[in-house]
Amino acid sequence: MDEKTRTRVGGPEDPRAGLEAVVALRRMLEALEAAQVENAFVAGWSWSRIAEVLGISRQAVHKKHAARIKSRYPGRPPGRKERSG
Amino acid sequence: MIFNRFAREARRSVEAAQQEARMLGHDSLGDEDLLLGILRADEGIAAEALSSLGVTLEDARAESEAMFSGALASIGISLEEIRREAGDAFDLRIPDKRRIPFAPGAKKVLEQAVATSVRLGDKYLGTEHILLAILENDDGTAVRILARLGVAPEMLNDQLFAARSG
Repeated sequence: MDEKTRTRVGGPEDPRAGLEAVVALRRMLEALEAAQVENAFVAGWSWSRIAEVLGISRQAVHKKHAARIKSRYPGRPPGRKERSG
Repeated sequence: MIFNRFAREARRSVEAAQQEARMLGHDSLGDEDLLLGILRADEGIAAEALSSLGVTLEDARAESEAMFSGALASIGISLEEIRREAGDAFDLRIPDKRRIPFAPGAKKVLEQAVATSVRLGDKYLGTEHILLAILENDDGTAVRILARLGVAPEMLNDQLFAARSG
């Protein structure tokens, strides 16, 4: 890794930049997970199927996302007619 | 309870800080949110001092966001690209039901604000005490946001004390 690259990723000489990148990534990841779960739900995926791809339990996905998503899509039953893919 | 001493304007600024943190997707309330809260509530000596130095809520928010996307860019991630990919569902806002705790730095700032108010012999805790405490936190994000806006801690300090005596 050359000097320039190390500076860019917040290498050992700039711990703050490195740590801040981690915080930013965590924040982004949370929002991205919420968005992609919502996208899958809208595409008709069931909670179980979403959970399986995420590698976590159905309960965990439901607990974290169901209330938010259902309030955004009232009346839509959790994905009965799944699409393939 | 630490908030007993707080004047109404100071309380409002902390409530406004919570709203800013939620809107910007900060899962804990940091010292930069306290700064944004003072600007958003727009009351008291601190808001006046900030505004006299040309610091606006919009600019401070924009710097906070620029630091966020800059941090992601430093590890090769484009926030814009992700936004595009994920579509309308991508929303950094913290959902209404989730509590936003104070980050340790912000807690320290509020404690420091109380200490400053006592040291200055004031009977209340106003936004100026919160801002003075924010400025003492050199390592905080708020001081860096201000620096990016061309405002050094000493400038604000002077402005605050001038406003207090004026």
